[in-house]
Amino acid sequence: MLAFALRRAIWAIPTLFGVSLVVFLLTTLLPDPEAEAPIASGDVGARVRLEELRRARFLDLPRLLNVAPRDVRVTVDECTAHLVVGDVDARFCEERIARLGGAALPHLLPRLDDIPPAERGRIALALAPVARRMGIGEEADLTQPDRAALFWSRFWEDRSVDFTEPAVRRSVQRITARESDLIEQEIRLVDTFALRELMRSLGTTRDPAALARLTRMAAHVTGRSGVLEPTADRARTRAVVSEWLSWWYVHEADYVVLQGGEKVTASVAQTRYAKWVLGAVTGQLGLSTRDGLPIFDKLLARAPVTLGMALLALLVSSLVGVPIGVLAAWRRGHPIDHGTGAIILLVYSIPTFLVAELLATFGRASGAGFVLPVLALSTVSLSVMAQQQRASMIEVLGQDYVRSARAKGARTLRVVLVHALRNALVPTATIAGVQFPVLVGGAFVVEEVFDVRGIGWETLRAIESHDVAWIVAVTLLCAIVTTACLVASDIAYGLLDPRVRERQTRRQAS
Amino acid sequence: MSDRSSSPPRRSREPKASLPADDGRESIPLLLARPAHEPPPSSQDPAALLAGSRRPKTTPPQAPPPLAGIDWTDNPGAVTLRLGKIGFLVGALLLMLSIFADVVASDLPIACKVHGTVFVLPNVTRPHQLETMDRRVLAAEADWTIRPIVAHGPLLAPGDERVPLLAPTSAHPLGTDREGRDVFARVVHGTRSYLVFALAAVFASLALGVFLGAIAGLFGGAADALVGRIVESVSAFPPLVLVLGIQAAVPEPTLLTLFLAIALTRWPEIARLVRGEVMLASTRDYVLAARALGASPLRVLWRHIMPNVRAPLVVAGSVGVSTVVLTEASLDFLRVGAPAGAASWGETMSQFRDAPSAWWLLAFPGVLLVVTIVAYNLMGEALRNALDPRSR
Repeated sequence: MLAFALRRAIWAIPTLFGVSLVVFLLTTLLPDPEAEAPIASGDVGARVRLEELRRARFLDLPRLLNVAPRDVRVTVDECTAHLVVGDVDARFCEERIARLGGAALPHLLPRLDDIPPAERGRIALALAPVARRMGIGEEADLTQPDRAALFWSRFWEDRSVDFTEPAVRRSVQRITARESDLIEQEIRLVDTFALRELMRSLGTTRDPAALARLTRMAAHVTGRSGVLEPTADRARTRAVVSEWLSWWYVHEADYVVLQGGEKVTASVAQTRYAKWVLGAVTGQLGLSTRDGLPIFDKLLARAPVTLGMALLALLVSSLVGVPIGVLAAWRRGHPIDHGTGAIILLVYSIPTFLVAELLATFGRASGAGFVLPVLALSTVSLSVMAQQQRASMIEVLGQDYVRSARAKGARTLRVVLVHALRNALVPTATIAGVQFPVLVGGAFVVEEVFDVRGIGWETLRAIESHDVAWIVAVTLLCAIVTTACLVASDIAYGLLDPRVRERQTRRQAS
Repeated sequence: MSDRSSSPPRRSREPKASLPADDGRESIPLLLARPAHEPPPSSQDPAALLAGSRRPKTTPPQAPPPLAGIDWTDNPGAVTLRLGKIGFLVGALLLMLSIFADVVASDLPIACKVHGTVFVLPNVTRPHQLETMDRRVLAAEADWTIRPIVAHGPLLAPGDERVPLLAPTSAHPLGTDREGRDVFARVVHGTRSYLVFALAAVFASLALGVFLGAIAGLFGGAADALVGRIVESVSAFPPLVLVLGIQAAVPEPTLLTLFLAIALTRWPEIARLVRGEVMLASTRDYVLAARALGASPLRVLWRHIMPNVRAPLVVAGSVGVSTVVLTEASLDFLRVGAPAGAASWGETMSQFRDAPSAWWLLAFPGVLLVVTIVAYNLMGEALRNALDPRSR
């Protein structure tokens, strides 16, 4: 039995892969900000902003395969080349090298001597903001080209030992454990080189004081905001930390070097699709552009409302639909059957929003809270449940064992309710699993009418404000719920009916 | 997974001949009931005659539960067929209404003579000199006019009074909406946008579904697996959610993107259906015979396999129209569907949310919407009964 369930679950994996591809294609429908507003290459500030916009959606990465994944070394090489030539991109590259900071130094400073003096000076000048961030050097050392070049050569002679992973790891571990100005100073001196370790600790530490120190260091070296106060409450802590982690998720390649095997995995991992899928799997769904909250947290807050409502509606429609179906099957061909059939058809044909609107108009005075939305939603699946129950009941009532029970003198009521109903419920129970996602879809309409703050309500607000991250997340969530329900329903069918289990096992084996 | 049983398990139960449900009144035939494995009795069957004066009944094999929720197979066809005829009639009427929407409700007359010029069907051709003319001036200066049933278009025309939320009167038989536009005209013209849109979307999804389904069914193997995965992936999304997502993601949602989105959500069902039918038909002797006679695969597909697929497709298309209309109305109601200004039932109904006392905004488009959906569902049901002998 376990093997059967497992096999069915594994069969869902290709479907989930397809689902992720569909949603990924959905994201590629979105306009590229670069195409929308072409910017002169001289306007550095605008270019940086545009690049950030594009990178937040991984538009700088190739779609499915990255033959030449970037890391800090590649970026530094490129920027050095631009600076040496001094072309239009030079100013942009100056800005970029200053931003890369300490992480770029191990790839830049050792090669400084190979570069002709004039260009060397230009590169050294570009590094001035880094030195200011580190708090070293005098202004004259940084602003005069030849002195700056000398300053950085000396810096590298003195300090290259600090730019090693183990040293940085130790420092970050210490600063995580306790407050220490000395170590903070040490980390400042390696600048962004410490970011990888800082982010690693940020993701694992729970201590608010340590988080405050870590975010302070990270904000200092990157020049970003987002410093956590030691007194911050849990929600604020979560928001800030997840903001940092999602920033790191986007920008990691700027600050780390890919070595050996990492290069191979990066050719797959450093792609738009992989970044997006991995982000979705680990809950890094980005930030809502509507209110700046992490999408994942918003989903956690909104989804229970919608899923709960759908579950209640499923319960209600089963409790109403099954007796109707049983009654119609029992009195088959009787006016009762025809009457319920007509009602079922009508309920099936009335749009959910119309039912919801009518219930909302006539029931608003009663102030019944959650009852009316659930009632409105339950009409979505009511007719399907009743219809399925009727069909399976008719089939079971015609079977031999039912006839035997009657021949032995069992009362009609007992035959219907005890002998037949148990077996006739099996297909209905599995249909219920398939109906759940339909109800989730219907909930979008019902929530809007009754102003219930679930994912549907939120989605419609997101459409108004073009909050794409949320829409993508919700689409994905709905598809995953649907697939899970389908798998669960198939497994349940196998559990309840051994014949199905055997047939499916045989089929998949062949 | 190359046979019929590869459809979802709940549909693959073997057809069983079964007796009708017995209640107290029918206890005698129970004793004479035939064993389940015997062929169903025909009217000449002595066993059936023995069963008393009751008309011999055979219960059909269990078809998948019909979509529309009616399955009055006790008297196969009769009730369904009659209802289907009504549905067909109503559906045809709605189609007529959508074609002649301009004759029924338009701000311009059907024909008129103004300043010595005779205009024929200006409500369709919309000549410039009348289009820009104040409608009251037009009425006053025309020598004669043949007016449509309601003299308002779905939009405000020059010279129209802007009276928002007017209750039904003789000038505005179904009242006006919040913009002062005539609800009757908007409902009538909404029929056009809904039905034309639904038919187009259904045809597009049919084309795509038939193409991919036939490929999967004919070639099997890798093609089948690939199409199967695509079908599963697309149908993993609740249709409304996927359409919402697409409408939100495209830079400028238009009627075309809506059309593509809806067609995209509809085709997997068709592909699944066609694939099953093609696979089933491919194993038949007459197909083998055609192949043996040297017919090309395309000819086999077109002449010998497709005729089997046609009937279920007609049914799926008919039910599909009602589904698409429902989806479009829901989207319009949520104000994410048709572009602003276009006549649409959902948009008119959505105005009711801001003006809960204007019942006519909800009632008339709502009734028409339900009537449309019921009509196409009934039609599909009757067609299923008439065209698809296996489900009977």
